[in-house]
Amino acid sequence: MAGVVLETLGNKKLSILIISLLLVLAAFFLVGGLVSPAPNNVIATTAINCVDSEKLWPLGTSQPFLPRGKKKCSSIGDLHKDKVIIDEELGPNQIVFSQMIPLVRDNTQLSMSRWFQNLIGVVDLDIEFSSKNPYSEEKSPKMVLDARLYGRFKHETDDDWKLIAAAQEQRTLECAIENDNREEGASYNCDLLPLFELGSVYYDFYLINICLPVRERNIYNVNIGRLSELKVIFIHQNGGFTKVWFSMKTVMFPMVLAALCWFWNRVISQERSTNLTERTLFSLGIILSVMNCPVEWLTLAFNLPFMVLLNDIRDGAFYAMLLSFWIIFVGEHMLDQIERNKLSAYWKHLTVVLLACLSLLIFEMCERGRQLVNPFFSIWSSEVGSVAAFTFIIVASIAACVYFLFLCYLVFKVFRNISTKRSSLLHMSTFRRKYYSGLIFRFKFLMIVTLLCAALTVIFFILGQVSEGEWKWGDEDINIEYTSAFLTGVYGMWNVYVMALLALYAPSHKHFTTGDDDNSDTLSQEEEVQLTQVPSTSASEGSNLASFMAKTAAD
Amino acid sequence: MRLVLLMLVAWVTILTEGAASEKRLGVRAPRGSKWWSLANLGELSHDLRAPVKKLYNNPSLLPLTKRQRRLVTRNPGTVMAVVNGARMAIDECKHQFRNRRWNCPTKFESHRRSIFGKILQKGCRETAFVYSITSAAVAYSVARSCAEGGISTCSCDNRVHQRPAGEDWEWSGCSDNARFGHKFSRKFVDILEKGRDFRYMINLHNNEVGRVHVTNSLEKRCKCHGMSGSCTIKTCWMELPKFRGIGARLKDRFDGASQVLPGNGGMRNRKENSVRGRGRRRRRFNFSPANTMHKRPGRRDLVYFEDSPSFCDRDSSLGLGGTKGRECNQSSLGVDGCDLMCCGRGFTTEQYTVQDRCQCIFEWCCTVKCKMCTFNRTRSTCL
Repeated sequence: MAGVVLETLGNKKLSILIISLLLVLAAFFLVGGLVSPAPNNVIATTAINCVDSEKLWPLGTSQPFLPRGKKKCSSIGDLHKDKVIIDEELGPNQIVFSQMIPLVRDNTQLSMSRWFQNLIGVVDLDIEFSSKNPYSEEKSPKMVLDARLYGRFKHETDDDWKLIAAAQEQRTLECAIENDNREEGASYNCDLLPLFELGSVYYDFYLINICLPVRERNIYNVNIGRLSELKVIFIHQNGGFTKVWFSMKTVMFPMVLAALCWFWNRVISQERSTNLTERTLFSLGIILSVMNCPVEWLTLAFNLPFMVLLNDIRDGAFYAMLLSFWIIFVGEHMLDQIERNKLSAYWKHLTVVLLACLSLLIFEMCERGRQLVNPFFSIWSSEVGSVAAFTFIIVASIAACVYFLFLCYLVFKVFRNISTKRSSLLHMSTFRRKYYSGLIFRFKFLMIVTLLCAALTVIFFILGQVSEGEWKWGDEDINIEYTSAFLTGVYGMWNVYVMALLALYAPSHKHFTTGDDDNSDTLSQEEEVQLTQVPSTSASEGSNLASFMAKTAAD
Repeated sequence: MRLVLLMLVAWVTILTEGAASEKRLGVRAPRGSKWWSLANLGELSHDLRAPVKKLYNNPSLLPLTKRQRRLVTRNPGTVMAVVNGARMAIDECKHQFRNRRWNCPTKFESHRRSIFGKILQKGCRETAFVYSITSAAVAYSVARSCAEGGISTCSCDNRVHQRPAGEDWEWSGCSDNARFGHKFSRKFVDILEKGRDFRYMINLHNNEVGRVHVTNSLEKRCKCHGMSGSCTIKTCWMELPKFRGIGARLKDRFDGASQVLPGNGGMRNRKENSVRGRGRRRRRFNFSPANTMHKRPGRRDLVYFEDSPSFCDRDSSLGLGGTKGRECNQSSLGVDGCDLMCCGRGFTTEQYTVQDRCQCIFEWCCTVKCKMCTFNRTRSTCL
């Protein structure tokens, strides 16, 4: 019997294959959990309150304010009680919050590494409750952060700080305090303010300067209450995680590529025109290879801040293709007599996928794309921007819901068809029975594997979230990094999934040996059987088949 | 076995020596309190930074013991943190006890005497609070200074992978700062508690209580930064809360502190500890509560063994001023109310006028622009 590899494979071989794929999957999970560290690291810092006594900041030409080192700025400890404030009559415009990363640890000045890949800055304001100088709780106050980000290499000195970006960004400060905690000096719980996102860690040291300017006749930075300190939190990817991730990509890329070449070679060697399922599977493989392609190695040598955006787009393209593949696969296994085998038959479903991905892409371009120019940009900070961002996300989620409804409906239809076919299966001729049982087997196999993968993704995700919640300080024996394991596990799973599909759903060779001495009529019928829906070479053949099918249906 | 015996003998000799020196000291301020006077470094001079820098360059000028000095020299930057810590502890103590008969009075006169006064010679609740809040403040202040980058020896220990420091940092980053603060505070504060008496155990326990409260009050903050900002990747870290919160927690423990009996429960434990490298690790004492109905004090409970004085009257032996002349709240039924505050001696109420700031324009920091207004106010003071 011919068909795809899956049908011709013996049970023994199939189970060996499945077990080895599961082992590969487990290996991915364990590499993430045991070898790799947590995917991200946090440098939680408190900013130094530098004093700009000569009011150089607004001119914009000043040297950066350094938190430590030989050229350390003059600083004050307490923003309200320090004697220097009264002596020099300092105003809020003369305070520049400054911090440099990484910090000094164990008597060595650490340096950032290009393995860190990306850097996110978040600001946490510590607002004290003060009845005389209250935080405006009715209307969340608007803030303007005048921020400058500098970078420097190891071999350079403190004079060589290069300005990476400077911007005046607007943010809204959301704080709350419990009623029984309203006591002078108690602090509000404030939301974190996103500050910047860098797509590459090219420099060895980074320096952030922030000013919270207050101008007359200006509504910004006014009703924010009494600020006691400003914390800047930096988040970057861990070098160890990047190394594990890169190695995985570098290993998977040639493997998937090889599987893809083998698959397409198989299809071409059939000496017939390809069908839609094969073409879709092939494009899925191509997109997976594009996603796997380890171009990130270049970030170790060059400054490529667009890499994060590129990775997001590559991931998005893969998931879009995977969703389209499921729709097409299910549609092609419908077991009814409708001729599809062309993309136009699925335009409704594919539009939904396209719409979801397009709106996410636009959102991504607005946020990450804009951040290439201005790392301090955040789409959520302006009202128009956040409305637009919400619109894109809502459109995407509606489209995703519609997609799943479509998919469930199609799957439901297939199962209904299967159950009706199964009752009539016994009355069919041998070759029709094989045709249908082959279709049913292929479909059920994919359904099981896909559901398994989806379930595993969900389980990994929940495990990650739960382990996050139970994480506590001082726990000595954390040895599994669930978040890393989740990321590597999911990545490895979809790779294994696509590879398994490429291997198992490739056309089988076996009919070449058996089908050679068959007469032409059987051969043409055989071809109908092998593949889900072979394109009819002529109209007469098509009608022939249709009448044949009608006859069996009447039986 | 022989080694263990030898160590025990050495330990015992050290202890007896310690006791002898203590006897020689007589009724001087308790050990371990001298560093508190670091708090007035800034007050003494006009500029905040200059004297500290001078002192930091010459730590022998600081009111510290030899071992503390060595510790501070080995960890540059910690002097500032300890100074800040001492100041924070005093501020917080005064704030938490502002409405009580004992309102955490401090004296900044001399370096010789403990700035909290002779109350530390007692073993009462107030003593327990002072020990715990100062120890907590040092841990807190050092941890905060690490986050500012002010101390270059803050550790980068990462608990999962044992690698060299630089490599470890690149592989998986550094752990948070609270751990270093905790360790430093243990070394810096506990180093002074040498002795073998009950007070020593009580003080060490209360010091540890303060630090444990710092560690336990760390707050978890998280940031989502997955694909398109979704929560598929969430990164969390521990953040130090305001010290006010820690002060309030310790005040709660003060209210529920347990009185313990001098027993030999602790001694047994200490022998074990002495074998394990002088018991520098987490010391746990087995205190038996005075009231057998109460449960044993845990790691977070303050302990004391003497009843507090009433704090009503002047007591020159303890350096207490009494509540005479203290302001009280006529309408309150609590400890700050005039009945309790004045210990039934009665109070006077007077009207007075005062010039104070009004119609101020506040900004998030720094100078405040105000007008001066005259107010009529009433106050009650204890007789």
